[in-house]
Amino acid sequence: MNYKYDTDFWAGNTARKIWDDIIPGEPRKTIPYTLTKEAIYKLCKSTGDMNPLYVDEDYAKTTRWGGIIAPPNIHVLLMFSCTPNDDWMRSPGTINASQSWSYNIPARPGDVITLNARALDKFIKGDRLFAIHDNVFFNQDSEVICSGRGWTIRPV
Amino acid sequence: MENTFNIKEGLVIQGTSFHPSRETIWEFCEASLDYNPLHWDDDYMKTDFGKTNFGGIIMHGMTNFSLITKMMTDWCLPLGGIHRRLETRWKSPVKPGDTITPSGIVKKVKKTEKANWVVVSILVTNQESKTVAEGEAMVEFQD
Repeated sequence: MNYKYDTDFWAGNTARKIWDDIIPGEPRKTIPYTLTKEAIYKLCKSTGDMNPLYVDEDYAKTTRWGGIIAPPNIHVLLMFSCTPNDDWMRSPGTINASQSWSYNIPARPGDVITLNARALDKFIKGDRLFAIHDNVFFNQDSEVICSGRGWTIRPV
Repeated sequence: MENTFNIKEGLVIQGTSFHPSRETIWEFCEASLDYNPLHWDDDYMKTDFGKTNFGGIIMHGMTNFSLITKMMTDWCLPLGGIHRRLETRWKSPVKPGDTITPSGIVKKVKKTEKANWVVVSILVTNQESKTVAEGEAMVEFQD
């Protein structure tokens, strides 16, 4: 990590925006992150996705990609590695209701990945407070890796 | 490599079953950096979330998302396809001890000016055949 990552999501929670304070359209603070083979391996292993394209350099070199790539769902990790501790996606009790993602080019080990992110919308449905997050990840050449949005139920 | 025109609407795609446990959920916390207490804090999960009480820790929704992604790439990469999109909705929480299995069915094959696109309807079900997630994926087969 490029900064001290706090795994205690309660720590500093008062610094995070609550639903009332989230402004749709306002950019979220983000942090560049350098992707590693080790980080890709950990994510793949955690769900049993051990395709050699993601974990075996010798095999990956023989493919059309010419080397290890990250699986499409690498944005699961990037969402947290590219945001600071006070990002509201870390608020304890944030419930993931839905997500949609589009994939352009794969992320690769050594990529320095940046994120453009914002709240896109917020609304009330029944008793629940929703916020939609909107995200685009880029590599060091300003190429889009993937873009996506998620519907979250905010803690109350 | 299979020609995309061999892919017909109605084709069933079967994913790999997954057995979440406290250990796999914590491993996903460490791999994804998502340490939301929903996924590890038993005391916190005794509390109510509005009208909902989960009755214990729950698996990350993005584990479902990742299992669907694995199913799609396991299927399309050997055929020369590129996984281009995945949309998911979580219908029911998944808990340690459950067994969940993704599956898909090709619901549309669409030729555009530059490629053939395959739209796949997705379900993830648990050991009681209850739907825990649903969604839709798109795969591109370039000409």
